[in-house]
Amino acid sequence: MKVQILGTGCPKCRALEERAREAISVSGIEARIEKVTDVETIMAMGVMMTPALAIDGTVRSVGRVLTKGQIIAYLKGGQ
Amino acid sequence: MAGCNCGDEKTVIITACSGAANTGLLADQVARRLRSQKLGSMSCLAALGAELSGYVESARSADRNIVLDGCPVACGAKIYARLGLHHDEYLLTNYGVEKGKTEITDELVAVIAERVKADIEMKRD
Repeated sequence: MKVQILGTGCPKCRALEERAREAISVSGIEARIEKVTDVETIMAMGVMMTPALAIDGTVRSVGRVLTKGQIIAYLKGGQ
Repeated sequence: MAGCNCGDEKTVIITACSGAANTGLLADQVARRLRSQKLGSMSCLAALGAELSGYVESARSADRNIVLDGCPVACGAKIYARLGLHHDEYLLTNYGVEKGKTEITDELVAVIAERVKADIEMKRD
């Protein structure tokens, strides 16, 4: 599973990345994190506000720092 | 342009149904003019119709979605409604434009854009 953190490096982007790492660790789900910082790439994914989180290429959240629990739910395929 | 959501700035997304008729041309041109006036960022209605996740989640997270529909078929508003996205629709035939008849000139675009902008700002305030 690929978890992408989209953002140019602002504090909220870093917070989302940290929580995603915790969520992956706690859930035991095998996943790797990829940081996407290039604005053109972010725009090409249709994301207009950062930070954003995508799982296996599907954007699940835009403009929010999700909680660890929310990220775990997404990792498990939930809403 | 993708923006960082670290600040308190409200996020406004503008989309237009640029359908085949003259009213679609007008909706598209008015949306571009509103974007150039910094009223909001413009997004792609076709991408929302195709349910591309980044566009859908961006609209879901926006503080305000402005939908410009050229005619009463209202494809833009229907796409937003189907996706369960909050939105404010502005129907351009309510501004004295006739589908299939009115010639879309630069002057008309400017006039309609000002009227739509005033209505948007009135609702915001």
